[in-house]
Amino acid sequence: MRFILIDEILEVNPGKHIRAIKHVAPDEDYFRDHFPGFPVVPGVLLTEMMAQTAGKCLEMEDAARGRSMLGRINSANFRTWVRPGELATIVAEIRTSRPRFAIAHCYVEVNGQEVASADLLFTFIPATQFAHDFRDEVVERYLAARTLQRGPNPASMLGTQPS
Amino acid sequence: MTRIEALKWIADIFEEPADRITPDTPRSDIQAWDSLGVLTLMADFDQTFGIILSDEEIQCMKGVNDILEILRTNGKLSE
Repeated sequence: MRFILIDEILEVNPGKHIRAIKHVAPDEDYFRDHFPGFPVVPGVLLTEMMAQTAGKCLEMEDAARGRSMLGRINSANFRTWVRPGELATIVAEIRTSRPRFAIAHCYVEVNGQEVASADLLFTFIPATQFAHDFRDEVVERYLAARTLQRGPNPASMLGTQPS
Repeated sequence: MTRIEALKWIADIFEEPADRITPDTPRSDIQAWDSLGVLTLMADFDQTFGIILSDEEIQCMKGVNDILEILRTNGKLSE
């Protein structure tokens, strides 16, 4: 099982704000157990969606700082169910971004309704700790699409501030 | 912030009962004062008071009194 819980980044202002989407496939394996006859996306996966989304926003701000790791869930709320086949929009707003930690307020929307929110604390792990050939395919797809739309723009490369 | 309020703030950060935290409480007596606790402390200093702790300040903290001293030095603690 892959653990990439974001399909696509729609927009990002590195270090500030990001919006992404996740199509919840009707045949996700976890629906067999969560719950039989009443399939809903587990809250921990919604939290992870928010963490991955915010993490990409932080890593695009400053790749040299390292990869973002969820350190603490300061708060989390789950207001309604997310069902198989629904489209989740995940938004993260970075409240504080420092060399050693960051704080983000995140939420998930379905059909324009907020279904979950969380305040998350991140720390950073040096990129050298990870596979040397690691590439973030979600971020790369976003950058490639943006390049196609607007033409090459060096400022849009990972780890640099936008123009 | 008064000293009592500061002690309550510190207790909340480390998820300790308020009556367990005094100025003399050493770091070693606070279970949650680990690497994550340090990050939480840094984040709360930043968000609550606008104080950005340096690595040196973090490393020098040996107990609650050191936290109070940083608040005092930055004019955030009323006696």
